[in-house]
Amino acid sequence: MLDVARLKRVVPYAVVATGAGYLYQVAANIQYQARAGVLGPDFWPKAILALTIVVCGYKIAAALAPGRRGEAAGVLEHLIEESAAQRGGTGATAAGESHLWLLLGGMALSAGYVWAITRLGFFTATVPYLAAFIALGGYRRWGVVAAVSVIGTVLLLFFFMKVVYVSLPLGQEPFLQVTLLLMKIMGIR
Amino acid sequence: MEGVLTQLAAGFVSVFSPLNFAALTVGLVIGLLIAVLPGLTLVMGVVLALPFTYKMDVTSAVILLTAMYVSGTYAGAWTSILFRVPGEPIDVPLLWDGYTMARKGRAAQALGWTLLAALFGGLVAASAMVLLSQPIAKVALTLSTPEYFAIIFFGLASVVSLGGASLANALISLFIGLLLATVGVDDTYGAHRFTFDVPILADGIDYLIVMVGAYGLGEVFTRLERGFRSAPLESVGAARTRLPRLKEALALKGTFVRSSLLGLLIGIVPGAGATVASFLSYGAEAQYGRRRSQLGDGIAEGIVAPQAAATSSVGGAMIPLMTMGIPGSGATAIILGAFLLHGLQPGPQVFQTSSHIVYAVFASVFLAVIGMCVIGYFAVRAMVRVLEFPEVIVSAYVVMLCILGAFAARNNITDVWLLVVFGILGYAAERWRFPVPPLVLGAILGPLAESTFMTTMISFDNDWTVFFTRPVAGTVMLLSLAALLLPVVRQLRHKRRIVA
Repeated sequence: MLDVARLKRVVPYAVVATGAGYLYQVAANIQYQARAGVLGPDFWPKAILALTIVVCGYKIAAALAPGRRGEAAGVLEHLIEESAAQRGGTGATAAGESHLWLLLGGMALSAGYVWAITRLGFFTATVPYLAAFIALGGYRRWGVVAAVSVIGTVLLLFFFMKVVYVSLPLGQEPFLQVTLLLMKIMGIR
Repeated sequence: MEGVLTQLAAGFVSVFSPLNFAALTVGLVIGLLIAVLPGLTLVMGVVLALPFTYKMDVTSAVILLTAMYVSGTYAGAWTSILFRVPGEPIDVPLLWDGYTMARKGRAAQALGWTLLAALFGGLVAASAMVLLSQPIAKVALTLSTPEYFAIIFFGLASVVSLGGASLANALISLFIGLLLATVGVDDTYGAHRFTFDVPILADGIDYLIVMVGAYGLGEVFTRLERGFRSAPLESVGAARTRLPRLKEALALKGTFVRSSLLGLLIGIVPGAGATVASFLSYGAEAQYGRRRSQLGDGIAEGIVAPQAAATSSVGGAMIPLMTMGIPGSGATAIILGAFLLHGLQPGPQVFQTSSHIVYAVFASVFLAVIGMCVIGYFAVRAMVRVLEFPEVIVSAYVVMLCILGAFAARNNITDVWLLVVFGILGYAAERWRFPVPPLVLGAILGPLAESTFMTTMISFDNDWTVFFTRPVAGTVMLLSLAALLLPVVRQLRHKRRIVA
């Protein structure tokens, strides 16, 4: 009987293997003018994908097979574990409590920021993003949050546009006017 | 030899020019701060600094990043020793004797040993880097594509063999990295591979985006999931440095020399780096040290061994980068990126075409080692105070710098979307224990691996046995296979021990 834990262990490998299978199909359909005796541009990606599928297959089989197997770990992992065990001290950092909603919130916030930056412009999108991220992380000194968000954004805008000459997104109307005004104040052309 | 010294002297003159010296100083201070700051690692710091170098001269840019790399191997020791907070895995061995020594009321002495070890290891490796680079570059000029492929294969095999809780996961990680490197228009046929009609993907996925996403954003996501909760600081007294007496230092000369040479050698191996150097050196001390039975009780050897090796690995890692254009670690990959952004390809030819830049970088390593120790000696107390800075604010700015770095590379918002994807991938890798370094090294070395493999196949009529029949390539390939088998052999031995 397969238990849930085993099936859970299989999931990442099944996902990778499925993705690799799909990409193998894509690679098999790469269009090119074949030359006699020369490997095509599909050879290398297909070889990598085939190896990926083989390793995933091995992991899935190992996870589903009865009995518990030890696994070959990297040399560094062994060194860290052995040394920590010998010294009876700290190995790597201990895993803490998991806050899944915080994580999903951070990911959604970051994706939303990337979506907004071209529409609102760098300044108008970055100030609320920084403030929201810091607040999401649990920091509640609002004066500091506001100062850090506004001053930091202005400094980044100045540095990247005036010193490094990176053309940051200006945004669309009416937010474009905010960016242009700030640029004018900072002497950025 | 005389020529090398003359060029090195010219390199020192170049580093003392105002812009280069400013880059060195800024790089050192930022590198030291990054090593101390919560939530930032050495590689992340160097990645985030890259966009700031876009408009700099190549020499200043590389000096800045190299200075950060050097000093990043040192300052993490302060927080390990004083607060029991290892900034990253490099600093874990320093807990065992460094923190123990500090708890016995000798924190100043522990910091003194760290400083001396970093200085000695750094200078030994810098000297070796200068002496070995030109001969290695000359040999590299004689190598052909099968040898280059074998060397790259060795780098990939070692990173797989070294990292992660599972060899299979490390392999999958590597394959994903290699696959990412195939995206775009193929060089030989001009065929579109995995571009899915997205125009910017035709230019490929910049490995810097992969690095910034996986190391920078991915790490922030991981810390966010933990709620940015750091362990409470356990201070062991005032932070100041007391250097050991000459007699005390000379008594440990064996440890200094052994650790520095070990660090140098490990640094040269592509895929290994400061962390491996630090642990192996501590392990070597536990095996061969005079006072091995007292290791862990807070003795100086337990501090000198990991620190000297970690800092000396930097000089070692610069050798394959400068002589063959092969980055062996995350930080050297970013330094390679800085070179490429300025239109300069490191490798054997660079010693003939741009030796003034090479030697300026070499000279900067010497000055960086000395400079970080001087700053460390006088400013340790001020610098460790940044540990009190809220991690969430640092992380918010890390995300901003990741996004700006990705955007600035090609001024394209698609790169920022890719960054978010690689950030999530980096988090997922960490979550399901797929090591990130093989993924990143695969993305970096993938194009070189493919081009050397394909060129070999064209030149040798698709005869793959050339990788094993040519003496140099064959030897390196055998070493690679040995590296890959090492974890399996260790596992079998472990099993046998348990059965016995």
